[in-house]
Amino acid sequence: MKLLILIAFVIIASCTPQNTTPSVPVTKPTALDTTKAQLLKKGMFIGLDGPTSGTASIYDQAGSKYVLLNPFESHNGPDLKVYISKDINANDYIRLGNLQATSGRQVYSVPSGTTIADFNYVHIWCQAYSVDFARAEVK
Amino acid sequence: MSDIFFNSQKLSLILRDGLESDKLNQPSVLVLRFKLDMKKNLIVFTVLVLMNLQGYTQTGGHINKYIDATVGVAKYQGTLSLSYVNTWRFGSKQKLGIGLGGRFTSYFAANQYYTTAPAKLTSGNTSPTIIFQDNIQANIDTFLIKSPQVNSVNLSINIDYRLSKKITAGFNIDAIGFSFGGSRTGNYINGASGKMLNATPTPFNILLISDNDKGSLNSEFYIRYFLNEKWGLKVGAQFLFTEYTTETKVQQFPEENDRFRNKSLLFCVGASYKI
Repeated sequence: MKLLILIAFVIIASCTPQNTTPSVPVTKPTALDTTKAQLLKKGMFIGLDGPTSGTASIYDQAGSKYVLLNPFESHNGPDLKVYISKDINANDYIRLGNLQATSGRQVYSVPSGTTIADFNYVHIWCQAYSVDFARAEVK
Repeated sequence: MSDIFFNSQKLSLILRDGLESDKLNQPSVLVLRFKLDMKKNLIVFTVLVLMNLQGYTQTGGHINKYIDATVGVAKYQGTLSLSYVNTWRFGSKQKLGIGLGGRFTSYFAANQYYTTAPAKLTSGNTSPTIIFQDNIQANIDTFLIKSPQVNSVNLSINIDYRLSKKITAGFNIDAIGFSFGGSRTGNYINGASGKMLNATPTPFNILLISDNDKGSLNSEFYIRYFLNEKWGLKVGAQFLFTEYTTETKVQQFPEENDRFRNKSLLFCVGASYKI
């Protein structure tokens, strides 16, 4: 009996909270000014593992590329990242960073040297669990 | 260059340079000079241990044979191990035991990060001194597997010490064997870029030194309590390496690589049955 209690204690102790994405919209200013940037691609999100909605856009501003999520609304989850990928399953992708917030306008820089023409999808990807939360095909 | 020295009553290992075999003339002594690499040394070592322990049984030494079942748990990870161990007891009170056995380990987990495995990449070289070196972080990429499952069968080396009539402390480690398991899709993460690709457990396992190891190898520190003559319970820690090989050499920098390793520390409990 004592052994069972010990095992149960170890299992419970090993269950720690997951890192989740802030739900408060991002307020800090971004480098992207859509009035001066050129829109390259755009698409609507569809939720794959729960309700997600909004628009993903890719802009070129003075040679730098940005992904803009605006408007954007998603349910929360652990270890959410923003990927852009060449194919629907994200077999070949670039990670733009942690999802900044589950709602509101947010901007992500695309690494220099990326050929945007090759990337046709924006994903909200739960990396720790390898789950595609939401996807937008951008054209 | 190393020499290994055994006799039939005592098992000892002498590693030194420049030892000449004609300096050791005892009839019961087996001396071999190695000019082999580390892998061959380990295989020969195992064969010699088996040969000498066979001689030990003929001198009336005490032998314990166990069947052992162990369960290991850690965050999102688990193991089930089944082993058979033949332990030869040494010393006037038979407190020290040295054993050889076989172990089947099944590892199952969720969302585990595997990292670049070869020592040449993690440490910059393959010499035994890498155990004291820090990893070269720039060379280490990550392969995230959603549901790794690796089965391995290995020859194990076992050492234990009887602390009292009912309590034994021990250590064991897998030395050589093979692994099998299904193909898994993983997320290869290299900085900002990545790929999804398939991988299978590295088929051949061998214990060398630090990251020179290959494949999936289990080891345990444990305390065993004997409930009676036949049955014992054990509790301890398992340190397990599991390794996957990707379908292509996905890592390109600083050189091509397809082997990725996960190191797991698990709490373990088990039952032993003395045959």
